[in-house]
Order: sequence, then structure tokens, then C-alpha cells
Amino acid sequence: MNSDEEIPSDEVDSGNVSSSDDVEFPMEVESNTSREKQNEIEDYPYEVLSTEQIVQHMVDSIKEVNSVIQLPHTTIRILLNHFKWDKEKLMERYYDGDQEQLYTEARVVNPYRKSINAQKKQSRRSTGTEECEICYMILPSSMMTGLECSHRFCTHCWTEYLTTKIMEEGLGQTISCAAHGCDILVDDATVMNLVKDSKVRLKYQQIITNSFVQCNRLLRWCPSPDCNNVIKVHNVEPRPVTCKCLHTFCFLCGENWHDPVKCHLLKKWIKKCDDDSETSNWISANTKECPRCKVTIEKDGGCNHMVCKNQNCKADFCWVCLGSWEPHGSSWYNCNRYDEEEARAARDAQERSRSALQRYLFYCNRYMNHMQSLKFEHKLYASVKGKMEEMQHHNMSWIEVQFLKRAVDILCQCRQTLMYTYVFAFYLKKNNQSVIFEDNQSDLESATETLSEYLERDITSENLADIKQKVQDKYRYCDSRRKVLLEHVHEGYEKDWWVYTE
Amino acid sequence: MANIASQRIKREFKEVIRSEEVARCSIKVELLDDNYSQLKGEIAGPPDTPYEGGKFLLEIKVPETYPFNPPKVKFLTKVWHPNISSVTGAICLDILKDQWAAAMTLRTVLLSLQALMASPEPDDPQDAVVARQYKGFPEIFISTAEHWTNIYAGGSRKKEEYSKKIERLMGIGCNMDQALVALSGCNWDLDKAIEQIFG
Repeated sequence: MNSDEEIPSDEVDSGNVSSSDDVEFPMEVESNTSREKQNEIEDYPYEVLSTEQIVQHMVDSIKEVNSVIQLPHTTIRILLNHFKWDKEKLMERYYDGDQEQLYTEARVVNPYRKSINAQKKQSRRSTGTEECEICYMILPSSMMTGLECSHRFCTHCWTEYLTTKIMEEGLGQTISCAAHGCDILVDDATVMNLVKDSKVRLKYQQIITNSFVQCNRLLRWCPSPDCNNVIKVHNVEPRPVTCKCLHTFCFLCGENWHDPVKCHLLKKWIKKCDDDSETSNWISANTKECPRCKVTIEKDGGCNHMVCKNQNCKADFCWVCLGSWEPHGSSWYNCNRYDEEEARAARDAQERSRSALQRYLFYCNRYMNHMQSLKFEHKLYASVKGKMEEMQHHNMSWIEVQFLKRAVDILCQCRQTLMYTYVFAFYLKKNNQSVIFEDNQSDLESATETLSEYLERDITSENLADIKQKVQDKYRYCDSRRKVLLEHVHEGYEKDWWVYTE
Repeated sequence: MANIASQRIKREFKEVIRSEEVARCSIKVELLDDNYSQLKGEIAGPPDTPYEGGKFLLEIKVPETYPFNPPKVKFLTKVWHPNISSVTGAICLDILKDQWAAAMTLRTVLLSLQALMASPEPDDPQDAVVARQYKGFPEIFISTAEHWTNIYAGGSRKKEEYSKKIERLMGIGCNMDQALVALSGCNWDLDKAIEQIFG
């Protein structure tokens, strides 16, 4: 690249901090892991990248664009960010459209016009001192600086300004010039030149890398807490990926790997659970719905004449029969309108909604139950380790006791699969295939429970051989049943067997 | 208090005192403590508005991080305006929030507030009741705002009819503020105001 020829060098303008176009983005990152060789799991290749490698990835993208469009790196970074790091889109716009408009939209000054601004500044420089509009200090011009928009403030105020924006407002690539009404963006080289506090620099870099990762469809942060790695895939698919921190998750949605249920249904389910689960039991026991507007009501007094508090509804109805209150007028506290057509319709509607709730609770309880058990099984690893040591005292070799750990691995996999089968089943409409699915589910569930029971049993020297045989048989069975269940569901996806309720 | 902040306020304080607006008595700033973190502002109600003739006091709190964060400003004088809470005096104005720029000053803030009083933004309201009246019943809004200016800010325009209604409510056990808020919010419908207070 030869940007120095294209762009008038600002070296004389020592006060202008954005002049250093070619400064590489100096990263201070916490983790420095080396580039991982590609993982190939079931023909779905992906890479685990550290924060440092992500930065390199950004720099590479900038260089790639720079080899075609010869603009300063800082300008390209802002333009790329504007196009969500879509190189093709940027190039297309750059060569097809109105470039001036492109610069305005992306909030940068056309770098080819810098020379004019630089001259302006040069002439102003002759006075020797300038007043900073922020701190009102009269300072030598060498302590003043600004962007290409020619709004100049002292370096100290700039630093304070940038620090506030970064630390308090969490802005990164979208910090604009400090002047009122000026929307020209502050580029990264300027920020790195002005901000010296390492905490602020680190935060700034995190914000910038984060926006890069979030913009890029092929990248996703590992969702496990305190993990700073990113998974990079070649094409976006709902597939399990395992980070270096050993957390396995679905690349498409970022949740724990949730086969057999699909991402959108799981998302719906999680939202439903967050909204409902705590209160739904109480609601089903203590409330009814207004027959007109369906708002949930609680009866807190003895009178059966209900007036809906929903200001848009205000329906009068009877708590007992849910029919309109009007015909009750003459027999206030004694509802004898039980067979009325209207009341029956209202009760039917109520029943439907109650039974929907019952159905949800059925699936939710089972889902939660497996989730809870899964948490306990993680504790099982510790106790199994103890048992494995104990067995080695009973004349068994290390290799001979490994089956126990394997059994817990399989138990956890089965629990996780079972947990998500209930989400799948909740949204599934009944048909012949769904019956087969439910059979598979119940078979896997009962086998899993037996395995779980075996693993919690006390191991003594007398029953050792017997238990080993049982555990091995059971976990092999569980593993094969789990695969059968998943394959059946996948086959259904391919052959369009599954019909959803919503 | 951070050095830049107090430095700035000192300078701005001088700027306000010297400004032509002070000469015309349209804005005023007073220091409340030695370290420049608390100030009292005063703006005159702009001419040709319902606030004309009133003096409106403002509480100005200067944060440590000033001028990189905006000063916290609210009305101490009660005022009937769509963008100012009639209860707390809180102000809805973009430059006091995300549109704040470090190069703005106390003077520009006070002048912007005056401008806000002259041209309310009912579509971005702080006080929904006032905003509804402003849009739906502009004449009632004007006379109500004038009445508030008369009572709290020393303006000269008021409606006898409104004073009488307030007295009626005070006669049945309300205090003045309560009566004024209820009546203003109900477009001066006495029955509705009574229902709102006692219902």
C-alpha cells in the first residue's frame, strides 16, 4: 500500500493525533493462546480463536480492503464497521455510489480533503496559543488537537472526554467529536494515542472486538462465563461446537447443545419458562380469566359479582359460572344460571386455557426435573472418582474401572437429551411418528433412571463384578437408545413428519 | 471536586455574569457553596408565552465529571409545561441527556431552557397530563400555565374563575397545591377534580 502518497502527510501538524494511519492496533489482551488447529467434528469444521487472534482477523480484513481501496487504515476501519464488516458491500458502495455521501453516512471526513484542512490549521497555528473550549485554558497550539473536522480541544480534555465515553457510556467505534452537533467519528488510532490508562485502553479494545464479533455472522463468543474465546465457523448452522474451555454449545443460538429440539422452539420455550414457571402454579390454583378480555383475575372478596378492572373491558360477570352478570340481578349471591348457554361457552374457554396450562406444567416439570438431575450428576463425578479408587483396592486395574466415568458421561448426555425432548414434545402435534417418538423417549427415560440408580448404589467387594456388568450393559443400552431417538427425530426433520402446535 | 469541573464553573460563572442576558435580567446564576458543585439558576419566562413575567428558579448540580457529563438541572419553581414535571420539576431536554456536548455551558443550558419554555415538545413529554391538555385543549393549557405562573412565579395574568374553583376545593379541606394540580389535570372541571381527590 502506498497511502503516504495518496494522503498528505500530517507530520508537520504534530498536534493532529489522527495522522498516524499505519499504526497497527496495539492490543493488550488478557489471554494469549496460540492458533488452534482446526477441529473437525462430524464434518463441521470450526476454529477456536483467542481475543488476540480476533484482533489479527480484524487487521487482516482491513488490510484486504486496503489492498483494493487505498485509504488510511483508520478510515477503512470506520467504513467497515459502518457496513458491519461486510467487505463486499463496502467495495460495492465505494465504487458504485456517491463517495461523498458514503463518507457522510459513515461519519468520516473524506481523507482526500485532509490537505485543505491541514492548511487551515497551519494558518491558525501562527498565533501560537489557542483557547480550549472545554477547560477554557489558553494553551500552546502544540497541546491542542482535533479530528479532520477541525474542532480542536486540548489533549487533556480529549483524554477525559474519551475516557467518559468509553467507561461510562460503553461506546467504542461510535464516539463522535466532542464539539456540539459534530458527528465525525473518533478513529481508533486517535483513541490509542490519547488514552494512556491501560484499564480504559483494554475496555476500548474489548468494545471494539465485541462489536466486530457481533457484526460477523461466522463468529460467536463462547457463552461460558469468563471465557474470552470466539468460535469461527465456515457456514452458520445449528451445530454443536466445543470451546477450548470445554463448554459445548449450539453455534446458531449459543444455548447449551439442545438436540433434538430446534433453536427457535427452544428460544420460545426458554422465554415461556422465564415468564411463567414461578407463578403458573399459583395462577392455576387461585385465579380465573375474565371471560371477555382474558386478563387473569384474583378474587379477593366474597362477592361473586366481578367487575373487570381492565379499564378497556370492565366486563360484569359471575365468578361461579363466568356468565354475564346481568341475568343474575335478582339473585345476587346465589348463582342459578349454571346451564346458561353463554356461561357454558365461557367455562369451555376457561377450561381450554386451563388445560393448556396443565399441559405446559406437565412438560415443564419433566424438563426442570432432568435439568436438576443433570446438575446433581455433575456432583456424581466426584463420588464416582472415590468409587474408582476404592475399586482399585479391590484388585481391579485402572483401566478396568474406567467404565464408571464413561457411565457418568453417558448418563449426563442422556439427561441433557431427555431434557430437550420435553421441549420438542411440548410443541409437537400428535401423529403416528410422535407416538413412536414418545415410546423412544419413555424407553430412554426409564433406562436412564435405572443407570442413575446403579451409579448411586454402594459398591462392595461382593457385588463388584455384578455391578460392573450391570452398569456396562445399561450404559451401552442407554447410549444406543439415545442415538436411536435422535436419529428418529432427525429423520423426521428430513421427511417433514413433525407438525408443531404453534 | 475535580479540577477541570471547578475551573470551568468559575469561568462560566463569570461568563454568565458578564453576559448581555444578565444585563437584560433574563438569566441569573448564584453559587450555593464554595466548591462550585451546587448552583441556583433563575430564568425569566420568555415574552409572548404563558410564562411571561414569571421568575423560575432552577436547581443546578454539577457532577464531578463535568463538563464531560451534563449538569443535573430541575425546576424548583412549579411550572405547567409538557416537558417539565408538574410534580417534581424534572426536565425532559435532549441536551441535558444524550445530546450534551462538553463545549456547552451554563449559559447555553439556561438559554436552551428558556427556548424550551417558549416552544414545548408535546410529542416527547415529561408530564403526560400536561402534554395531553396542550394538544387537545390549547386554550385551557395557556390559561392554566398562566395561572401557575401567577401563583408560583409572580406572573400577572390569572383567571378569576380558576381562583374561585381553587378556593372552593380549599374550602372542603384540600391544600392549594393539591387543588391546583387536580383542577389543572381535569381541565378545570370541578366535579372531576373532587372525584379525583376524594374518590
